[in-house]
Amino acid sequence: MIPLSWYLILAAALFCIGLYGVLARKNAVAILMGIELMLNAVNINLVAFWRYRTPEMIAGQAYAVMVFAVAAAEVAVGLALIISIYRRRSTIVADDIDMLKF
Amino acid sequence: MFTGGFDPVNILAILPEISLIVLGLLILGLDLALPEERRGILGWVTAGGLVLIIGLALAISRPGSEPILLWGGMLRHDWLGFAFKIVFLFAAAITALFSMDLFDSGRRGEYFLLLLAATLGMNLMASAADLIMLYLAIETTSIPLYILAGFLTKDDKSTESGFKYFLFGAFTSAVMLYGFSLLYGFGGTTNLYGLSQAFLEGGLSIGAILGSLLLILVGFGFKVSAVPFHFWAPDVYEGSPTPIAGFLSTASKAAGFAVLARVMLAVFPSIAVEWGAIVAALATATMTIGNIIALAQKNIKRLLAYSSIAHAGYALIGIVAISYLGVASTVFYLIAYVITNLLAFGIVALFGRVAGSDDIAAYAGMSRRSPWLALGMMVALLSLSGMPPFGGFVVKFAVFAAAIQAGMVWLAFIGVINSIVALYYYLTILKYVYLYRSEDEDKPLPVSRPYAIGLTVLSLLVILIGTVFAPWFSVASSAAAAIFR
Amino acid sequence: MTPLQIIFLITSVGILGSALMVVTTRNLVHAALWLVVSLFGVAVLYVMLSAAFLAVAQVVIYIGAIAILMIFAIMLTRRVAKDSGPQTNPNWTWAVVVAAALFGGLTWLLSSWNGFSTPIPELSSRADPLSQLGQALVSPNAYVLPFEVASVLLLSALIGAIMVAWDRRSG
Repeated sequence: MIPLSWYLILAAALFCIGLYGVLARKNAVAILMGIELMLNAVNINLVAFWRYRTPEMIAGQAYAVMVFAVAAAEVAVGLALIISIYRRRSTIVADDIDMLKF
Repeated sequence: MFTGGFDPVNILAILPEISLIVLGLLILGLDLALPEERRGILGWVTAGGLVLIIGLALAISRPGSEPILLWGGMLRHDWLGFAFKIVFLFAAAITALFSMDLFDSGRRGEYFLLLLAATLGMNLMASAADLIMLYLAIETTSIPLYILAGFLTKDDKSTESGFKYFLFGAFTSAVMLYGFSLLYGFGGTTNLYGLSQAFLEGGLSIGAILGSLLLILVGFGFKVSAVPFHFWAPDVYEGSPTPIAGFLSTASKAAGFAVLARVMLAVFPSIAVEWGAIVAALATATMTIGNIIALAQKNIKRLLAYSSIAHAGYALIGIVAISYLGVASTVFYLIAYVITNLLAFGIVALFGRVAGSDDIAAYAGMSRRSPWLALGMMVALLSLSGMPPFGGFVVKFAVFAAAIQAGMVWLAFIGVINSIVALYYYLTILKYVYLYRSEDEDKPLPVSRPYAIGLTVLSLLVILIGTVFAPWFSVASSAAAAIFR
Repeated sequence: MTPLQIIFLITSVGILGSALMVVTTRNLVHAALWLVVSLFGVAVLYVMLSAAFLAVAQVVIYIGAIAILMIFAIMLTRRVAKDSGPQTNPNWTWAVVVAAALFGGLTWLLSSWNGFSTPIPELSSRADPLSQLGQALVSPNAYVLPFEVASVLLLSALIGAIMVAWDRRSG
């Protein structure tokens, strides 16, 4: 039998790897990939909590479905913004996008 | 497992939201049907529609004195949510007016549609009573705003601003969502009020709850632009279209506060001492850092961005007090702040379009170019700095009183010191507006009709709040009563 | 070790290993492909947690749509995606420290919770999570409101994305 803790630790590790990706990566698409990893860690949490804590109440799964929908919207908008800035600047390296600095 | 059967109040309570969607579809339809040269009317339709929705909400959707949970516990129909909803709808209407001459051609329909979608999200944020609804509402607010910030695709700064807003926003919301998932796991439910029960029953270590609270605060801190999650604000405000910067700094921030107040006070009473200390530290840092950096700004949009960070700090004071008066004063503060800051950003938007510059130095001689506009600027800045007889004075007084009543004299003291520092940079702008001369003095500043209406309404409201404050405060008190009962 | 545990361990090594490749590899196309592997591992976990529908949704939405969209975006911006030069910030060591500290903190936080090692409860034989989920999503006493809001969100995101990304050279 697999205890809940295994899933939670796995999710925490995946979340932190995603976080590292967001903090360390330069390329905007790579940063977005890090964010996707973080959202997947959240979904593992949600589904595991549903299965172990409240299997009779569907909340965890419904939550995960909503996270899917939001993630899809977020990626579409994010990539559109990235393409838009690439068109202006020919770069999507976050460090080079620095007109707005005080 | 779920409360509330299906009765008509379910529909009545979300009537403003349904009307927002209908209005959005109307805008989209008109955008297709009207010929290009007549699409200027879309801004009027949006603003007029929003005013109608406010009327409709006030007439039909008012909550009773007893809060009720609707839609299977997704929403809580209470005065806290309702008061904020009216503020958001009003801010959106004003933003629609100010946005009307933003475009030379096309794309208006989509712009106003996104504005309405963001307003819908804010409305739901204010009344969400379930983690699922809350997350979705926050994203429904943020995602259209990312696009609006980067809407001027031909402008380097606007695209950059949308891009930065998106990266910060998506990152912090992922951290916040992780916190939400932990809350669901620890409490065994997604309903905010169910969670509160579960945490009060005990058996959970303080560390576990506090840890998830910290993760959530990252997301909330981003929304209200509290230090240390404020880095995005100046860059994004400077780059985005000025009316949208105004909307971000007012309605979007107020929506963050609505959520912050509800979640903190409803879900975490079991660790009130701990989070009180954390938020007090946030408030202190936010006020102080916002004001100090604002002193060095040369660009008026950046200055207003830092000033709006500082104002988030003042508003946090009311929440730290963890009292009836505290919440009432925060709601009151936000009402006045939203109106005042919309006025300031409105004038900056108008001036920026005509003069082509957002530098503070460009404001030299403004009083000779347009005395009325300069007067509006003075009203806005003096109210922001907390001078009587304007709205900003009364509400600042209210939050400091709440802090003193809660025994936190030191926090009120820091607030007062900060207000004095802030006075300096607000007066500096007024010095440019009224005392300095420039070569452009003979160039008039034409005020288009939408701006004339918006700026007049806002200026009158700022003065009204400062002089007749009882009705406003009673609304804020009913909002606070929705939490403390 | 039961077979289930062994499957779990293999899957989690797969997920974490490929996630590490996603955040470290220089070539962005490779990173996107590793992302697909990682997402697929998560789908396997959903099956193990008897959430079969989510597993399908994971494959269809995350791998089928999101990851593919990313590959498109990389292709569209390929001039900068070339693996020349470092792909990480100069202060990446701080990112390692932050991520490791957060992992330590989260582990401590989770292990201080008394439900940390809950054993898996039996799903009652009559329970059908899929139809339960389907009904909950459209029931006015459950999640119909978020469901509708999600549709508004997706519509406005779609319109907004087209607005921003569409290169209107004529206009």
